[in-house]
Amino acid sequence: MSVDRFDRTVTTTCGYCGVGCRLDAHVNGGRIQSISPALDGPANEGHTCLKGRFAHQFTRSRDRLTSPLIREGDHFRVASWDEALQRIVSELTRIKDQYGPDAIAGLASSRATNEDCYAMQRLIRAAIGTNNIDNCSRVCHSPTSFALRKSFGLSGATGSFTDIDHADVAVLIGVNPTQGHPVVGARIKQAALRGCKLVTIDPRRIELADYGVLHLSPRPGTNAAVALGLAHVVRRDGLTDPAFISERTEGYETAEELIDSYTPEAVQEITGIPAADLERAAHIYGEAGAASILWGLGVTEHKYGSEVVQLLCNLAMMSGNVGKPGAALLPLRGQNNVQGSSDMGALPDTYTAYRRVDHEETAQLFEEAWGVPLSRKVGYKIPEMFDAAIAGDLKAMYIFGEDIAQTDPDTAHVVKAMESLEFVVCQEIFENETTKHADVVLPASAFLEKDGTFINAERRFQLVEAAIDPPGGARTDFDIITTVSRMLGHEMGWETAWDALDEISRLTPHYRGVSKERIGRGGAQWPMHPDGSDSPTLYDTVFDNPTGKGQFAVLPYKAPGDAADNEFPLILVTGRVLQHYNAGTMTRRTHNIDIVDRDWLEVHPDDAARLWVSDGDKVSVRSRVGQTELFAKVTERIAPGHVFTSFHFPEARTNLLIGQSADVNTSCPEYKVVAVDVRPMSEQPAFTPSLETVS
Amino acid sequence: MSRNLVEMIRRHHAVAGPTALEVLKAAVDDHGELTDEDRKRAAELSGLPEAAVYGVSTFYDDLLMPRGERHVRVCTGTACFAATDDAHVDAIREGLGLELGTKRADGSVSLAETVCLGFCHSSPAIRDGDVIDAGADAVARVLAGASIAAAEPEWRSLFSEPVMTRPGDWSGLARALSELGDERLLAEVEEAKVRGRGGAGFPAGTKWRFTRAAKGDEKFIVANGDEGDPGSYVDKYLMERNPNLVLEGLALAGFAVGATHGFVLTRSEYPLSKPALDAAIEQAHADGWLGEDIQGSGFSFDITIVEGAGSYVVGEETALLACLQGLRGTVSARPPFPAERGVFGRPTVVNNTETLANMPFVARHGAQAYAALSPDTETNGSKLVCFNERFTSPTVVEVPFGMTVRELCEEVAGGLRDGRSIKAVQIGGPLAGILPASRLDTRFDFDALAAEGCMVGHGSILAFDDQTDMRHVATHLLHFGADESCGKCFPCRIGLRRAHDMFAGDVPVPREKLEQLLEALELGSLCAHGSGMPAPMRSLLAHYSDELGLA
Amino acid sequence: MITVTVDGQPVQVPEGATILTAAKQAGSWVPTLCFDERQAPFGACRVCLVGVQGAPKPLPACTTPCRDGMEIDTHDETSRRVATAVVELVLSELPEAPAAHTELAEVADRLEVGPDVRWPGVVHSTEHDFRHPYLAFQHELCISCGRCVRACDEVQGAFALTAVGRGFEANVTAGLGSGFTDSTCVSCGACADSCPTDAITEIRLLDGNGVGRLPLTEEHRPRLKRRLPLKDNTER
Repeated sequence: MSVDRFDRTVTTTCGYCGVGCRLDAHVNGGRIQSISPALDGPANEGHTCLKGRFAHQFTRSRDRLTSPLIREGDHFRVASWDEALQRIVSELTRIKDQYGPDAIAGLASSRATNEDCYAMQRLIRAAIGTNNIDNCSRVCHSPTSFALRKSFGLSGATGSFTDIDHADVAVLIGVNPTQGHPVVGARIKQAALRGCKLVTIDPRRIELADYGVLHLSPRPGTNAAVALGLAHVVRRDGLTDPAFISERTEGYETAEELIDSYTPEAVQEITGIPAADLERAAHIYGEAGAASILWGLGVTEHKYGSEVVQLLCNLAMMSGNVGKPGAALLPLRGQNNVQGSSDMGALPDTYTAYRRVDHEETAQLFEEAWGVPLSRKVGYKIPEMFDAAIAGDLKAMYIFGEDIAQTDPDTAHVVKAMESLEFVVCQEIFENETTKHADVVLPASAFLEKDGTFINAERRFQLVEAAIDPPGGARTDFDIITTVSRMLGHEMGWETAWDALDEISRLTPHYRGVSKERIGRGGAQWPMHPDGSDSPTLYDTVFDNPTGKGQFAVLPYKAPGDAADNEFPLILVTGRVLQHYNAGTMTRRTHNIDIVDRDWLEVHPDDAARLWVSDGDKVSVRSRVGQTELFAKVTERIAPGHVFTSFHFPEARTNLLIGQSADVNTSCPEYKVVAVDVRPMSEQPAFTPSLETVS
Repeated sequence: MSRNLVEMIRRHHAVAGPTALEVLKAAVDDHGELTDEDRKRAAELSGLPEAAVYGVSTFYDDLLMPRGERHVRVCTGTACFAATDDAHVDAIREGLGLELGTKRADGSVSLAETVCLGFCHSSPAIRDGDVIDAGADAVARVLAGASIAAAEPEWRSLFSEPVMTRPGDWSGLARALSELGDERLLAEVEEAKVRGRGGAGFPAGTKWRFTRAAKGDEKFIVANGDEGDPGSYVDKYLMERNPNLVLEGLALAGFAVGATHGFVLTRSEYPLSKPALDAAIEQAHADGWLGEDIQGSGFSFDITIVEGAGSYVVGEETALLACLQGLRGTVSARPPFPAERGVFGRPTVVNNTETLANMPFVARHGAQAYAALSPDTETNGSKLVCFNERFTSPTVVEVPFGMTVRELCEEVAGGLRDGRSIKAVQIGGPLAGILPASRLDTRFDFDALAAEGCMVGHGSILAFDDQTDMRHVATHLLHFGADESCGKCFPCRIGLRRAHDMFAGDVPVPREKLEQLLEALELGSLCAHGSGMPAPMRSLLAHYSDELGLA
Repeated sequence: MITVTVDGQPVQVPEGATILTAAKQAGSWVPTLCFDERQAPFGACRVCLVGVQGAPKPLPACTTPCRDGMEIDTHDETSRRVATAVVELVLSELPEAPAAHTELAEVADRLEVGPDVRWPGVVHSTEHDFRHPYLAFQHELCISCGRCVRACDEVQGAFALTAVGRGFEANVTAGLGSGFTDSTCVSCGACADSCPTDAITEIRLLDGNGVGRLPLTEEHRPRLKRRLPLKDNTER
């Protein structure tokens, strides 16, 4: 695109999904006029999707927060920054003095930059004095992070998106890239048409299944059995890589007995996948020269999500499909900076690069750098924060860039927790379900308005540079957080986000040498080597465990936290659509709303016929914990016995339906398996899903 | 040609899906005009995206011309033009009260243009429903509702041992399978220096060698039966009167290059070609010359006949492959050549029908016998030629290379009828130069004709008589050229339209601008359509500049 | 690697690289209209012609592979003359001059093709489709370079666009001629990004967001163009 018709063009990184498209933002008169993909973007190679390209008008939406708000009774009044910040400082100081620092918790955001997240965790750790810091990757890819560290050592994809171009086979499990990660989805589709064999595994027949060689539809929550069954056939039929197993891994013998018990017939019983299909899939995978595995939230957001990731790692190790071109394990991260927010230590148990808070040497390193004593006590994870709030142990939350009342499970429980807190700060770009419970709301900035870095799903640091200023009185998150910290008595000592980045790289060996200049236009994939080179592929010779060997996990299949029964005969699965992004805060304020204006409940024609539901009907969806209303779309994309909906529109309130079940290792909620009852609205009086506390 | 669309077609073909074009053609045959439902169905059955199907449905004449209950197609090919100066077109328009490309409001009758029906020996020709009527009284019969099927042309050979007018009997394949083997067969074809008969004259053996050497899990042979050149009915003769010979040529090609499947793309303007070939295939299966393990040799080969839908440029090999797979018949840049990436993206030989019809002779009698057929020239083998209605004896004749054009016109075809004399002849189709009567002593051979700006092409010898208005010839040819441009490359897409419009009005044509335009067409165009159309224009400028109304 | 000479300067390129790649590497400008580095070469526009020592006529740089020792002249007089003529032809089919920021305008400018063309004639009829929230069709500006269709095919894989018609009347459309909204379009905008004339463009980039310029009409479906009428039909 010719650029001479714009005042200026700034190359930055997209703030939507974890692909990390590099974008050229064209600015006229202080507003974004247009966005086009950067031709040299390493992840997007001159392409992007409608969110990255078009969905930027929200930045100048009339309802952007442009001045601080302070609660007065049941409404907010506009306040000055001075007053709002003073209020925050005095309340946090009061609560800390009264209940101790562990009565305060902070949430960083996977939408924000590394520098914002790093500043936030430093605020909570150094200025407040607690490890009660977490981020929203808790509710998406924390199981991936946990499992990859267990199996291989590092919390990140083992390869890069370019591996898709070199793979003979790609297995997609619990991920729908053409909707959720469109640029990677497009890349996979092209690879498939060039001859890469796709095996798709999902309760829903995703679009890419049409381009693949085999689609498997397991019952939701049975991924572990699928992974074990694939391993069984690979082992049974001699498709393993014995040299890789013996030289590069540990614990295979201990897993053999378990694997042997998951015969295709046994797996069919659990998953509903025909034994012959499972065998075919295992052969396609096992016979490939180079095979990659991609997964998403359909794997992680389960009671045993982290264990499934470990079992996928088992499968890759058995067949030698790690650490070489075309053989990558690629978790497709949901948000733009899911990888970075956790890498930056916005977690209750770790500093940057997953170094534990109770590790003395690490804690001392940060104490020395920050000049304050630091807690060795692991803090609350997000769900624990809610429990602690209800129990009266947590009194204040500083919530930055996350709409927990909309996006976290069991909305009623979340709202109860919020109501139990004495003081809530929300730092946001729009009012939302969560700000309704805030005492102070701070107007912050969107990705097009800030400097810093994101880390995409390939572990690649990429530059974020402000194309426009925050509107009105809004400020950058970096500015707000460092100011609050300063007022709380902890001066972080940074002028710009790049200063924070320098501190991050100085204190973190994996990010050594990472700077604005080093990242440049090409990015840098951690871990960085002493010679300044980066790591497109991990584990080409050794794994990053203490022994240098990949670790086999011995984990049997266990039933999910919920199951269909007579009262709730259908299983609800949730996911994204292309046109909208998560809670829709941004995309619903763009013309994307003209393309998709609601969440639909997908129902199989057989179920629709049985339930007397027609295409377009409004239906009531009821689970064990809540109820909501959606419009039905009758389609064969979804298997009988299952229903699917996206979760982009606040009216749908799908999280009213989700219970407390969560991943056993990471507390990531089990969003993907919820037993529900679906009925036409005409069968019962209209019911509007609302809580007493929600207006 | 989109690699992705071809791959989708390949995947669907594996489960015996029809092509989108086949589905659309059937729909038009069934109810006259395409609906979106038809297009959606074609997408579903063929595996192509809906948009791609829509693109196909807007490309081919057969899918675009509205059809009434009675569908009349008037031939506007060059032979019919040479016979009437398009008076037959006016007569049928006025008689039916319809413009070309329209139908009556009540849907009873429709009129369309078609180029060309291959009845050039008996112009003008009109297709009335399924009946092709031809000759001076054809218009009157059609208007009276009393069309009769015109007689097919006669054929003969000047050879005692004919190459292509001898009925195919599979003896060449028999010898190849039992005596020669694939490598020696290929060597014989190379030694025989069989040159392609479709226009370019590329050595067939070299094409076969490339394809044989190309990597591919499967390979294909395609016979180009899209003899679109107005004035030519040589391939029509072969496909309809001697189909076994064509099929045998395909099987020989398959044996030599390691292919197990062949295709013939026929023209919808020749409605008898596909049925004739299909019948011959059925017989060949019964006789054991096609199918699995032919004659116990271990060689298996089968052939599918696919009919086009009205597009001249589909005669170009990459466009032909696109049409065969049901796509828009547009030209693709080479490389990749079909020998690397052809049908379903696999290595493919594309030979002209007549080229393949030479192969049984080569296989049976060997390269030396083939070379001996035309002793007076460098070119080996024989050539089928055909003459237009202006001649006394317009037939298909197998002749040696090296005779003079005068001998062919006067001795073989008996000169012009009705006491007319030759003003000019166009040999080898609309992309060939025009030979004025003064140059009739030029030898009929690749190089000799090329030296005159002319070509062998399909071997059509089309005479314009002494009454012909050469500006009309220019307009006629440019109309054809602009109308048939596939629209892919810019010079042809726009330039031919501009050239046509220069002649179409009654205004003088600025010679300098015309020549500049012809240069852009000649040097810039992607395929022989755009780069070839200047050839007859240059002949006209050279020999008839005073008749063209130049400025 | 093989070595070729571009305008006297030797460059090394991988086997199979095109002349255009070599020319770019040598820093020599070759005009292009249908080329987009994100897509496979197409060879339609014919303005990338260059002279090659020993070749009987100009060769298209985008589709011709380099051969070792090839001597390439991007300033070849005949090539430039033909390219200029082709660009003039392209301008002659548009009802208005291309906007200054477009690639077509840039190429015309560099080849010094002015507004007066040697072969004026019929131009494309104006047809607009303004229904999509972000993307506009301005069919009269389409020069059938195929970049949008290939972007949709080779980059996004949505297969929502197609070339339609043939010859002079060739154009582009979405779905069943039904516009972006009723097609498999995923609104990625790769088509608009590649378009060298604004035949497909982002509505926000049109003056006044296109208001007034793009009238909404009832029938958005582009008319199907059929054969060029015979001479005497034209006269009636």
